[in-house]
Amino acid sequence: MKRALSLYAAAVYLFLHLPLAVLAVFSFNSSRFTVWEGFSLRWYEALFRDPHLAEAALNSLIIAFTATAAATVIGTLCAYGLWKQKTGILPGFIKSSLYLSLVTPEIVMGVSLLAFYQWVFRFLDVQLGMHTVVLAHVMFSIAYLVVVALARLRTLDPSLEEAALDLGATEWVAFRKVTLPQLMPGVAAAALLAFTISIDDYVITSLVAGVDSETLPMVIYAMARRGGSPLVNAVSTLIVVILGVMIVASERLQGHS
Amino acid sequence: MNRRTFFLGLSGLAGCSRHSRPRLNIFNWSNYVAERTIPDFEREFGVSVRYAVYESNEEMMARVLSGNSGWDIVFPSNYYIQPMAKLGLLAPLRHALLPNLSHLDPAFQRPSWDPELRWCVPYMWGSSGILYHTRLQPPPESWSDLWDERLRGRLTMLDDPAEVLGACLKKLGYSLNSHSEHELRRAQAEALKQKHLLRAYLNAEVREQMVAGDLSASQLWATTSQQAIDESPELRYVYPSEGFALYADNAAILRESRRQELAHQFLNYLLRPEVAATVVAETRTATANAKARLLLPEADRSNETLYPSQETLARGEWFEPMPPSIQRLRDRLWTEIKSA
Amino acid sequence: MKLPAARLCLLPAAVLILLLFIAPLLIVCAYSLLSRGAYGGVGLPRSAESYTRLFDPLYASIFARSFAVAAISTALCLLLGFPLALFISRSGRRKNLYLALVILPFWTSFLVRTYAWMFLLRDTGLLNTLLLSLGIIREPLPLLYNYGAVILGLVYGYLPFMVLPIYATIERIDRSVIEAAADLGAKPWTTLTQIVVPLSAPGIAAGSVLVFIPCLGAYLTPDLLGGGKTILVGNLIQNQFTTARDWPFGSAVSLLLMALVMVLLLLIARRNQEGLL
Repeated sequence: MKRALSLYAAAVYLFLHLPLAVLAVFSFNSSRFTVWEGFSLRWYEALFRDPHLAEAALNSLIIAFTATAAATVIGTLCAYGLWKQKTGILPGFIKSSLYLSLVTPEIVMGVSLLAFYQWVFRFLDVQLGMHTVVLAHVMFSIAYLVVVALARLRTLDPSLEEAALDLGATEWVAFRKVTLPQLMPGVAAAALLAFTISIDDYVITSLVAGVDSETLPMVIYAMARRGGSPLVNAVSTLIVVILGVMIVASERLQGHS
Repeated sequence: MNRRTFFLGLSGLAGCSRHSRPRLNIFNWSNYVAERTIPDFEREFGVSVRYAVYESNEEMMARVLSGNSGWDIVFPSNYYIQPMAKLGLLAPLRHALLPNLSHLDPAFQRPSWDPELRWCVPYMWGSSGILYHTRLQPPPESWSDLWDERLRGRLTMLDDPAEVLGACLKKLGYSLNSHSEHELRRAQAEALKQKHLLRAYLNAEVREQMVAGDLSASQLWATTSQQAIDESPELRYVYPSEGFALYADNAAILRESRRQELAHQFLNYLLRPEVAATVVAETRTATANAKARLLLPEADRSNETLYPSQETLARGEWFEPMPPSIQRLRDRLWTEIKSA
Repeated sequence: MKLPAARLCLLPAAVLILLLFIAPLLIVCAYSLLSRGAYGGVGLPRSAESYTRLFDPLYASIFARSFAVAAISTALCLLLGFPLALFISRSGRRKNLYLALVILPFWTSFLVRTYAWMFLLRDTGLLNTLLLSLGIIREPLPLLYNYGAVILGLVYGYLPFMVLPIYATIERIDRSVIEAAADLGAKPWTTLTQIVVPLSAPGIAAGSVLVFIPCLGAYLTPDLLGGGKTILVGNLIQNQFTTARDWPFGSAVSLLLMALVMVLLLLIARRNQEGLL
């Protein structure tokens, strides 16, 4: 069975990576169409000459890092609070709201946020921008964080923390020393998920973005709508390679320490 | 480097992009300026420009509807000018700041959508016709040729209710801006009859598929078609015999803009014949600027795909904004077509 | 005396939700009860017309189709995702690498991933070219622009949302339980179906919901891979907010969609005592 499982997994990995591998190959195509005309680096040259793309990539990174950090803290605390206090008005309110936020279609969330910002801006002299995008991202990733962190917490034994309390630890110490370490893998997985969602979001971002907060997906969308410029292939290849190297490197570092 | 310095570095980098020079924010259709148009303007006027592009009027509207999007200049299509003006999104133009308006083609000095040019300056214009591959013999000449079984799976229509219903209405000999429920229902029946032949409803993406030879015929805009023809000598564009849609994209200044003077300067700059000529020569679009057209090489100036003859032009009809009840009916008919 | 701290933990989330979710949602509710403005946006008079318009077989069929597409996509994600999560959890030191390999493709834009499939599936795409040159087919197969392509795109787009939560719960299963089962003579397959699957039920439920919901609201995939020939609820809503500029009706459709999904979730939560949250 182990063999069958490995084979199956290999097939799924192929499914996950083959389309992008094809894209990567075609990013070296000298033709701008899907007909192979020979090896060329012209799209990568064009990429590096495009300040627009670099800026959008930077915006995406700043937004994703900030939003993920904020959402991870708020979400983990929230999951912990929900785990400790299962009933009551506040947990009830939060749970049903998070349910609701999960079932809200992206487009609805985007439009409702836009309407809300519009209303708030009537009283403040503010424009749409990076801050509105970050706030939106924190909001839509928080439900995912809570769900994943809570799924993890559910599998923990609450008596461990109670034992720590009985032994005289304060609540904070009990949380930090006993629960948090056990929770960490769940939090890491959740943060990764939030980061993935944030850096990828187009629908909501495009609605609440201002002049200075154009993200990579927005630029790629514009390019892709024009018929899939090989520039898109080159950008994606570059992103995958950079992130891949980063992940492998962090693996190696962890392995050595 | 620890994480904190990394974040500081990131925010510092982001800060760098904020120049102290006056800045103009321009939101335009993709492929609507030449490579040098914006840098030249920045240099000459000592300003910096934030330039971004969109692919549909809806996309642009969604962004600027808030009235505090931060954009200064947008380029709505003709049938969006009145709605946007009525919504209070556009700033009235000061003609004293736009001496180059005189270079516009006389037809665009008094366009039906804004007869006194209060809100906008016509920039580019075009038509929606049929782009086809020459292997298709005999070549299509009319919309009704797109209801042919031999095109099955090799045909696309635009993904836009106004365009598809417009083509069907024209096929039936009606106005593409029809308000009549009877006419619209008949047009819908035509669209439903055609649906099984269609590969898809596609917009700009179709260009690449036409060039690669996936498709034999597509309903497409003239400018996009011209770009495809430049890539592949086997493609041709035809103005359907029953009539076809005309549209114009216009430069307009948003009411929210805090740099009205600079925005006018940019509009006036775009109206310079040399500037406009460079743009259309490079992007293969059709300018509304008569003087600019005169500066083009003969082959471009008399290119029938971009600049149809007066005789052809007489068959064209401009898109108009729809009253709410008709818009709703059309949307429902479109939903039914898609849902079938 | 253990409650105040827990409440404090909940506070930031509560403020965030109130401000950035409940308030905007109330605005959408208000919109759904107004009329379409002459040029888009909303205006007076108040009316329930947007809701009465919903009672129409046309919209019922769109809802039904969307639910079917989302359900099939979710089932396929589970079929692919569960064994993968199991494989990762059993791969020892390489775990993190394999996990990263699941997520890596998803750091490219969703649109890029969709375009990658268009690259593969179109007439002059890799698959057709390959099959043609091998002489297996004579005419290119119409792989793109149909429901199959849409579902493929959705499965591809949301697979990690299934893998990650399942992996997280499988990871938490006590190794000794599985070893004990093996010691007692259970075959691997029995251990899997009798112990691993039931114990990872919360992860499976979480993953299914995380996949089902975005599939239900998707509009880019049906547009790009479906070639705009089909209309799902996501497209219907999007059209109302863009081309049709009928915000009240768009709001009403969105609220109905949310209500239906809520009902579904409550049913799941009742069966699965713990629920998601």
